[in-house]
Amino acid sequence: MTVPTQKPARKLTMQQRYAALTHDLDWDPTYVAEEEIYPFTTFEGIKVHDWSKWEDPFRLTVEAYNKYQAEKDRRLYAVLDGFAQSQGQLSLTEGRYMNAMKIFLQGIPSGEYQAHRNFSHLARYFNGPGARFASLCQSMDELRHAQTEIHTLSHYNKYFGGMHDWNKMSDRVWYLSVPKSFFDDAGTAGPFEWLIAIGFSFEYLLTNLLFVPFMSGAAFNGDLPTMTFGFSAQSDESRHMTLGLEGIKFMLEQDEDNLPIVQAWLDKWFWRGYRLIALVAGMMDYMLPKRVMSWKEAFELYFEEQMLNGLFKDLEYYGIKPPRHVQWAIDEKEILSHQVYWVLYQFSHAAAFTTTIPNEEDQAWLESAYPETWPVFKSVVWDKAQRVVDSGGRYFNPGLPQLCQICQIPMGFTEPGNPLVQCQRHSIYEGERYDFCSDGCQWIFDREPEKYVQAWLPVHQIYQGNCGGPTLPDVAVWYGLEPGDAGEYIGSMDHQDWLKWHASSIKEG
Amino acid sequence: MAVVAISDYKFPSKSRQELYGDDQLVHLWWKGNPYFVAASCFRFPKAMPFGDLVELCKGFFSADPDLDPTAFDSVQWVIDDKPVTPDLGASLEANGVGHKSLVQFSI
Ligand SMILES: [Fe+2]
Ligand SMILES: [Fe+2]
Repeated sequence: MTVPTQKPARKLTMQQRYAALTHDLDWDPTYVAEEEIYPFTTFEGIKVHDWSKWEDPFRLTVEAYNKYQAEKDRRLYAVLDGFAQSQGQLSLTEGRYMNAMKIFLQGIPSGEYQAHRNFSHLARYFNGPGARFASLCQSMDELRHAQTEIHTLSHYNKYFGGMHDWNKMSDRVWYLSVPKSFFDDAGTAGPFEWLIAIGFSFEYLLTNLLFVPFMSGAAFNGDLPTMTFGFSAQSDESRHMTLGLEGIKFMLEQDEDNLPIVQAWLDKWFWRGYRLIALVAGMMDYMLPKRVMSWKEAFELYFEEQMLNGLFKDLEYYGIKPPRHVQWAIDEKEILSHQVYWVLYQFSHAAAFTTTIPNEEDQAWLESAYPETWPVFKSVVWDKAQRVVDSGGRYFNPGLPQLCQICQIPMGFTEPGNPLVQCQRHSIYEGERYDFCSDGCQWIFDREPEKYVQAWLPVHQIYQGNCGGPTLPDVAVWYGLEPGDAGEYIGSMDHQDWLKWHASSIKEG
Repeated sequence: MAVVAISDYKFPSKSRQELYGDDQLVHLWWKGNPYFVAASCFRFPKAMPFGDLVELCKGFFSADPDLDPTAFDSVQWVIDDKPVTPDLGASLEANGVGHKSLVQFSI
């Protein structure tokens, strides 16, 4: 029997190639101290003894990564071309569906871009090669998500309002300060907190609540491009979830002193993320002409069942407890979407989307999805709004709302157990008063007041004269709003166009 | 608890009273009426008489078609959780309304 003396190099297994292309490119510094190369991984108090314990179960190489992503992009762009050529926008369920996608375009790609930047920071500054490489992949993913989202929705910009200045708007418009401040908060934290904030709390705990409604909503409402984008991003999401989970386990396994730090971040970022996706709750239940499931059902399935009864049972082993204010979120599931959409309805004169009173079909669905709470909201607010419409008007709130210092959402959330009285919380810090929508947001402020006294609150900025001028028309110009972007859907430019397109297609047909 | 940071971490409030000169922010809240989904934020002169605020309320809150503006003549005012009987001729400041105070009533 003859044994070859040398194995040919190309026979490396995938795993060996991965090791060669990632870990083997790492080295121990000899003439520079490790802290000088990685200056940001100690100040947060997280103790790491052995970076090689960071598991990366995907073991992708850059070459394999590029191949997969290129293939997914090819498929996505083929769908986008086909949709544009066949005038697919005419087959949407209704023109008003596009309002959900306006919020998506205005709020999400800039968040993806922020995620891209901060993961690339981790890809440089984590001490361990496994952690760096996983962060590098996610950084590239997030950039790809931003780009493909923009391309996917760009077709609709030719036909619908509100999508032309999404980039400027995401920096300036009041409801878009909600996602912007969320990412600013996470990105100005240290690398480990970022990983718990975005990698774990957002990408693992809450991602299905964000992702599934948007993508299945798109599928149900004839929006093939957004649905295809969703599938294209989904395989990335499973890698991101893994990075988040590996990250939290790594911290917890490295040193038991890390537990209280990680728990506090988890408490904070669960609540930050949950308040952010309240916008999704309003969109799911009120802005989709055809619904997939209610917010309440999605919350029960994707959060209560999968996370509280699944994930947190596993994390118990490390001493991790469910997020501090989770019960408040559970108690809100029957009222959250009603309150958020009521905010959007009465302030849509200053927004880059339109809203309207739920029609008969919508109301029947709301009644079946929320038999306890819908009738209350209907009789207290919607019947009155309808009366205003019947007498030839349209209710818009005549003022500017009080905002929560942390989540920056108008303070329309209510006291637990009393859906008709808004929750008011206040803290005094260095003689100044700060307002909060909930115990969760107040707790976050009280932990780190120095951070949140700097919040760029849109209403306060308007009153300081920093948003184009003192009147609403001045501010609208500064926001980049154009005629037809804002206000009531019925009779809006989008609505009239929609009727016109379909009237002519009936004539031609 | 202080912010855990790479260096000294101290910044002024982005909405401190001095940024508004002789004015201040005031929140008006019709408690128990969710037609106004949140309390409203105003910029008022500190020296504005409380009576002017009451007059403003009559117009502002009539966005609710069911409002009877005369109700404001007998509402119980609450400033920062303290029930008060305001002196309508005195300034907001003299009545205890500070920067970002919450002025509430129910009808
Ligand atoms: Fe992403
Ligand atoms: Fe809040």
